[in-house]
Amino acid sequence: MEDIARYALNYALSHGANYAEVRLQRDNGSAALLKNGNPEVSSLIKNYGIGIRVLAHGSMGFASTNILDRENVSECILEAISMAKSVSGRLRKNIDFSSNAVSNEKWNVTTKVDVNSIGFDEKFELLLDIEKATISSCNDFKMPNRLFIIESEETEKIFLNSEGSFVQSSVPRVSFTYILTAYKAGKGTAQRFNQKGETKGWEVTNEWNLINFVADETRILGKILKQAVAPPKDDRLDILLGSEVVGIICHESCGHPFEADRIIGREAAEAGESFISPEMLGQKIGSDVVTVVDDPTLPNSYGFYLYDDEGVKARRRDLIKNGFINTFLHNRETAIEFEVETNGSSRSEAYNKEPIIRMANTYMDPGDYKLNELLEGISYGIFMKNFMEWNIDDKRFNQRYVGLEAYEIIKGELKKLIRNPILEITTPALYSSVDAVGKDLSFNAAICGKGDPQQGVPVWTGGPSIRVRKMRLGGLP
Amino acid sequence: MMNHEELVDLVVEEAIRNGAEDVAALGSLQKTRMVRFYNNKISVIKAWRNSGISIMIGLKERKFVSSFNEISPEKLIGSVKELIKLGEKSKPNYDYVPLPKGPFNYIERDHKEDLAYLSGKDLVEYAEIAIERALKEGAKRVAGTLICNSEDIALKTSANVFVKDNTSSLETFVRAFVEKESSGQGISCSTTLKNFKPEIAGLEAAKIAKMTKNPKTFQSGRYNVIFGPCIFANLMNNVMEAASAFNVDAGLSFLNNEIGSNIASPNFTIVDDGTAKDGLNSRIFDDEGTPTKRTIVIGHGKLKNLLHNTSTAKKFKTYSTGNAGWISPSAWNIIIENGAYEENELFKELKNGLYITNNWYTRFQDYRNGDFSTVCRDGIFEIKNGEIITSVKNIRISDNFPRILKSIGAISNNRYWIRWWEVATPTLTPYALVKDIGITKSVF
Repeated sequence: MEDIARYALNYALSHGANYAEVRLQRDNGSAALLKNGNPEVSSLIKNYGIGIRVLAHGSMGFASTNILDRENVSECILEAISMAKSVSGRLRKNIDFSSNAVSNEKWNVTTKVDVNSIGFDEKFELLLDIEKATISSCNDFKMPNRLFIIESEETEKIFLNSEGSFVQSSVPRVSFTYILTAYKAGKGTAQRFNQKGETKGWEVTNEWNLINFVADETRILGKILKQAVAPPKDDRLDILLGSEVVGIICHESCGHPFEADRIIGREAAEAGESFISPEMLGQKIGSDVVTVVDDPTLPNSYGFYLYDDEGVKARRRDLIKNGFINTFLHNRETAIEFEVETNGSSRSEAYNKEPIIRMANTYMDPGDYKLNELLEGISYGIFMKNFMEWNIDDKRFNQRYVGLEAYEIIKGELKKLIRNPILEITTPALYSSVDAVGKDLSFNAAICGKGDPQQGVPVWTGGPSIRVRKMRLGGLP
Repeated sequence: MMNHEELVDLVVEEAIRNGAEDVAALGSLQKTRMVRFYNNKISVIKAWRNSGISIMIGLKERKFVSSFNEISPEKLIGSVKELIKLGEKSKPNYDYVPLPKGPFNYIERDHKEDLAYLSGKDLVEYAEIAIERALKEGAKRVAGTLICNSEDIALKTSANVFVKDNTSSLETFVRAFVEKESSGQGISCSTTLKNFKPEIAGLEAAKIAKMTKNPKTFQSGRYNVIFGPCIFANLMNNVMEAASAFNVDAGLSFLNNEIGSNIASPNFTIVDDGTAKDGLNSRIFDDEGTPTKRTIVIGHGKLKNLLHNTSTAKKFKTYSTGNAGWISPSAWNIIIENGAYEENELFKELKNGLYITNNWYTRFQDYRNGDFSTVCRDGIFEIKNGEIITSVKNIRISDNFPRILKSIGAISNNRYWIRWWEVATPTLTPYALVKDIGITKSVF
């Protein structure tokens, strides 16, 4: 595996590149999909190939192939270098990388049960047990559509660059995705879409206790369908946001706008830019209790890594600290432009994708409040425990979250289920209105999309419950 | 080295030798180059050469798939054996249907141009043309992507299909900025060099950006809206995803009406066409070997067809529409029939309302009932008495797809091919006027 990587590195350097890095990546895994109780399909995941990134003639080139003979790899590299060379002087962006310590490391995540030791039969047996539990949890409503997908995969990588770094890794991941559609005549439908994911062996599927978990989700969805009433029209109310909502907020309106490549405009044509500018570093954006973190080193997290795809050691990044903009997410390209050190945020989905700045596990740091203490402080409000629909503009300033499991709060107590309450708000207004942060930190798995071609990388989004004061529900008047 | 036609032959024969009852192998050889740019500079050049074999095997009603990209004969034989060994232990799919039996008559597309001959230098020059044209029109900052793709594909199945095709396309999308909040997008995409116009993409992006200077906030409410081609293509991509019979069966579609039901305005017709001469995604066969064709999904407001492979067709008691996908059928090229209106007449017809050029981040609250929202992006304009009076910012469409389909009014006679980051399936789309669109904004 290493021979072709070393060959590619040397070939690039001897044909005009003044910097080169090579990633060889192999993904092995399998997945099973159960639709409405029917074992629809099982799939074997096998990917293997090479990605080479070069700096040449002041430009950046990326070449990739799965045809790993020397002739083809050479041709691919030459094409990237010659295209880089052909960029005219006026339109050339002289790109350079920040300096970084040379890494020489082998790391892996150990498992109790190898993710590739589990056959399609075991995967389907688990999904069929979940299916049974789902159906038996529907009492006076129906669940006409159920989609369950379980996937386990191991990714092996070798990274080396022309500065002498060499990093070898092996990472297993398991994920479970479910989409439930509850129906009752006269009530219509209610849907739940969610995912679990960790960097762990197959043993994690027991720890998730999926059969009981999905049965609970089913019962709650039925209650929402049957009992939820329209949101209140009250002008001002307080909102208690559950961990799942806080996680997506931290990801969308803190993690993304703090990506330095967005800040400088590199993603402007696709994923967009940022309302944050470099001069805003150090400015207040939230209340004192708001600290938002991105940390790839959380053990077993879905976005876990110890070295990024530029061979840089991973570390925790406090993006917002006590309400102040504290740091951005950097790779080596943006770090030199901002005159800082990279903080190891470069990731690539697969061997054939350029490494770019990505989040890993983004969450709000927990505070001191118990859930009942957060509730006690609310005389009238809404508890939005989770959500279905969400989106945000491409500057990451105007965002919307539509609650799924949501309750009215009266004098500190949970009352009626509320149907689809909408929080539609700007980023500074949201972070500035948080007055209390809970202890109950938990995480959700997601796949985050960015780049061109689009790359989906595994992340965790998380947080504790938080209390947001003097809000108004959004939506149509 | 064996070519991809020889490799699919090898894979199918090996699978049969190892007990497979049904096999389809799709081989491809793909050459793609990409130029990305931002702040008027080229930021990265990318080049890919990939060859791979995707395979679907049916065995004792079990269905299993894989993609192999270690393509030496020894590796492929090993992968096929591994897949069958694992797949035998899978569970039966009660909806399993054998592959359709060939041979079929395929209608070759004419005027195909393989754009692989364009040099990397040519592609960099086209990107520079787009940037320069936008700057000349008044843009201050220009970002975008240019992609040249060329792919040879071969399909062999155990049901007497052995067919090949090739596709090629040249695409760019350009985003121009005049101020931080004043942006516009232009697109040019084509299967021929002659019809590829990077300068038009740059010009269009800058023109919209200039018109969006000093955008104002706007009140939430319901407004009549003219959708430009980019946003209408995005919305119609969602309609055609809902037309996949797999998604209907999975509860991920709002098109769960009886065939023949009135579900849209009588003047609205949307079609999938895998045979479109100028379609970026045209192909003469689907992944099961069925010839592709033109399928009316909504014709003059009536739901005419869903998109099917052989498995969904059996379940829905109909025929494959040539849209396989071994797991889920999907559209090839989306074609929206044009209307009778000149674009300027559309604005007179609107009188008062909004003109929205682009969007992103469309997400559903409930796929089955079609409740969704999407964020408006780039040029948004308030129209009074048929004229643009100001530009608007920070709004979102919060509505329901079945309601929108029934509220489509006037449609332009000109149409444009759209494909970009937020429009995955190439779409030939007009401008469209849609009544009473829900518009919301942040409350704080």
